[in-house]
Amino acid sequence: MKTITFLFAVILSTQVFATDSKYIEQMSKHIQAVYAAETPEQYQDAVNAFERIASAEKTKWEPYYYSAFGWVMLANKEKEATKKDAYLDKALAAIENGKKINANESELVALEGFIHMIRVTVDPATRGQQYSGMAFQLYGKAVGMNPENPRALAFLAQMQMGTARFMGMSTNEACETAKKSLEKFSNYKSENPLAPQWGKGMTEGLLKQCQ
Amino acid sequence: MCLSAAAWGQTKITGTVKDEAGEAMPGVNVLIEGSYDGGSTAMDGTFSFTTTETGSKKLFASFVGYQTFSKNVDLIEKNISIEIVLKESVNQLDGVTISAGSFTAGEEKRRTILKPLDIATTAGATADIAGALNTLPGTQKVGESGRLFVRGGDGNETRTFVDGLVVLDAYGAAAPNTPSRGRFLPFMFKGTSFSTGGYSAEYGQALSSALVLNSKDKAEMNQTDIGILSVGADVAHTQVWNRGSASGKVQYTNLQPYMGLINQRIDWIAAPVSMEGSGAFRQQVGKDGMVKVFGNFNRSTFTLFNHDIADVSIKQRLDLTNNYNYRNVSYTQGLGKTWSMRGGASYTFNQNDLTVQSLPIGETEKGVHTKVVFENSPNEKLNVRMGAEYYDRFYDAYQFNSTSGFSEKIGFREQLTAGFAEAEYIANKHFVLKAGARTEQNSLINQASVDPRFSMAYKPSIKGQFSFAYGLFRQSAKNQYVRTNTQLNPEKAEHFILNYQLITDRKTFRVEAYYKRYFDLVKYVNFDASQLNNAGSGYARGVELFWRDNQTFKNVDYWVSYSYLDTERDYLNFPEKAVPNFGSQHNLSVVYKHFISALKMQAGVTYSFTSGRPYFNPNNDKFNNDRTPAYQDLSVNIAYLPKPNLILYFSCTNILGNDNIFGYQYANTPDANGVYASRATRQAADRFIFLGVFITISKNKSIGQLPNL
Repeated sequence: MKTITFLFAVILSTQVFATDSKYIEQMSKHIQAVYAAETPEQYQDAVNAFERIASAEKTKWEPYYYSAFGWVMLANKEKEATKKDAYLDKALAAIENGKKINANESELVALEGFIHMIRVTVDPATRGQQYSGMAFQLYGKAVGMNPENPRALAFLAQMQMGTARFMGMSTNEACETAKKSLEKFSNYKSENPLAPQWGKGMTEGLLKQCQ
Repeated sequence: MCLSAAAWGQTKITGTVKDEAGEAMPGVNVLIEGSYDGGSTAMDGTFSFTTTETGSKKLFASFVGYQTFSKNVDLIEKNISIEIVLKESVNQLDGVTISAGSFTAGEEKRRTILKPLDIATTAGATADIAGALNTLPGTQKVGESGRLFVRGGDGNETRTFVDGLVVLDAYGAAAPNTPSRGRFLPFMFKGTSFSTGGYSAEYGQALSSALVLNSKDKAEMNQTDIGILSVGADVAHTQVWNRGSASGKVQYTNLQPYMGLINQRIDWIAAPVSMEGSGAFRQQVGKDGMVKVFGNFNRSTFTLFNHDIADVSIKQRLDLTNNYNYRNVSYTQGLGKTWSMRGGASYTFNQNDLTVQSLPIGETEKGVHTKVVFENSPNEKLNVRMGAEYYDRFYDAYQFNSTSGFSEKIGFREQLTAGFAEAEYIANKHFVLKAGARTEQNSLINQASVDPRFSMAYKPSIKGQFSFAYGLFRQSAKNQYVRTNTQLNPEKAEHFILNYQLITDRKTFRVEAYYKRYFDLVKYVNFDASQLNNAGSGYARGVELFWRDNQTFKNVDYWVSYSYLDTERDYLNFPEKAVPNFGSQHNLSVVYKHFISALKMQAGVTYSFTSGRPYFNPNNDKFNNDRTPAYQDLSVNIAYLPKPNLILYFSCTNILGNDNIFGYQYANTPDANGVYASRATRQAADRFIFLGVFITISKNKSIGQLPNL
């Protein structure tokens, strides 16, 4: 009886392992692709792949994270405001799905804030009030959930920098946050092989403005 | 061996994806539900992939802006070929919408004509909602009133709704012939919909226009706001928690110091002083429910002398105290997949106590409005709305009779039960149709009515669209008439509106033509104000143009509105059909806003022109045949942001000091030479200058006032 249970357990665990390795292998491949993407077509292909994986993996937040990331990149490439908004709506929907699986994931919350920030760029005068407030709240929440998340700090630094430059004020606060973000990037370790890796360039760019 | 193993258990699926026009669609995601298997279509719309899934599975094809295609496929280890046609989603951001008669600000993702912030940044509007909307086509400027006069309609023909619930007495108290301000600040609202006709069956008791204000949802951060104004001060605080927020504001306004400095044409004894407070509470309930509570109170007082027209040395003292209270509770809740409900109640209390030469006279209005609406949207093409409403309104007026030594009272209670149903059908991206009806049962006249509403829009191309709207509207006569004759029927109007609108990302062109028929208007019997019937009638017709552009010139946003109005009515004491004194033929507004980021400033200029308004000169025979000189006003405002949490604001109306005349008042009796003495109704002062300092204190130093600029 014990042997049977043992065998059963082995079979189960190898199966779990098998699907998980397929998941990691597929995800890694498409994460590479989305980081390397340059054209809207490449982003769309990557987003499609993450959406397919998400349809199969009901308990993973990462496919939603990366498809949201891809949609944000598509929105950045788009010039027409209505299309930009349509892409951002898609990104936000993906984040919402991801949060249903893991509501406490700092990366999802930080990216959600970033989506609102991109929303502002479509029409800053009109949208500033509503969306920059929402972005700020979410960045704060993301840092609170995981103080080690370098991207949340990078977004926050970017926002502080934008305001300081617009106002012609000291960029000290922004630079402090950016420095902290770079430290976290350098020491960033995650047990999750699929954890987001991007954003260091953004922080370095901000720090250049600090010198 | 290897080959056969690879082929074993696999199905190859190939095909093409096209749109409805037969064009190949690249980048479409084709997948088998619940599996990794699938692929993106190539440039020529083709796809090809293999799947190890077996049995009956769902195949999906999706692309942004299109309805997701789904089909059951039997995976039986054979090649499958599928031709897919994707249909465009009908409720896209640039899809067809009904635009006849309405200006919507809000839902910022949609291409809207007016943004919520525009109301605060329009020069000459002094952050008053009606002031800003007066720069839009469809309105006739009536400078001494400050209210919204729409398409030949009187000021009371525009009704204000907050979160769907009616507001009675939506304007503050003002001295005779000085403009009143709306009781609600524009910053409270996330969306404003101003309809100049043909509006939804949901809105009743409005003859000409519906101003629908949607309050903001839950606040995002704790903050304290302090305002120091040239005419007073205000302080507000917002507190946020996980699923809700609360905010409160108190404001004190005293025009005494200002009016001491700047000469006024009003003989003030005590200039207007007001104390105002408001509070808002928001709480999310359950998965998608939201409770909103709003309340405000206002108490304002002033005292002045009215001078006799014939002999200015004869004066009459007038004291006014206005007490106002408004409460609004609303609740929205999703009910399953396709249903949702919203409901609420509003309560208004308005009391005017006057003494005229120490004789008390006054009026009180109290009203409750409750409403519940159910909405069902079984698919993206169809939306059905139905609702029930109940209004209960008390009105009392009193006057001290110096002969009898008693106070005489007169009043009424009106109860209305109303119901409405409306369906909107979006046939495709080009065509939408909306039809509905509204019923009302009025307790005073014990009469039931049915008013149809209908509208449609056709959008042949991505940018331009045609709309048409029709509706029958009714509104109880003004309180001062109903109290004299409680059996008066409601006044009625029928609207026909044709609209063409062309919108790109940053430019809007719009032209609208309308015809409006008035009937059952209140009429004096034999010029006797104590005998009223519904024999009055009238019409209004016109053409209006609107152009807005914030693309051509960098950092510049401007719009131009023009309204042409032809209207006549025979009502009240009119001896014949004539143009009412609020009916100006031509109205033009040019609003210009310039954002100077290097100076952290926004400057605005508004120019308004109104052609001469009719008035009755009893020295002439023909009624309302004389015209005032044209009205012109050039207003400016400047907002300056020295720090993110500090804003300095300056505005000045009528900077050129034009001596605008709104009309003439005549003595009741002719003088010895048989001539009626006259007096022009002018602006209280040529200019109104306003200075304000606004400070925001919050944890987030980087935001503050920045978004308000």
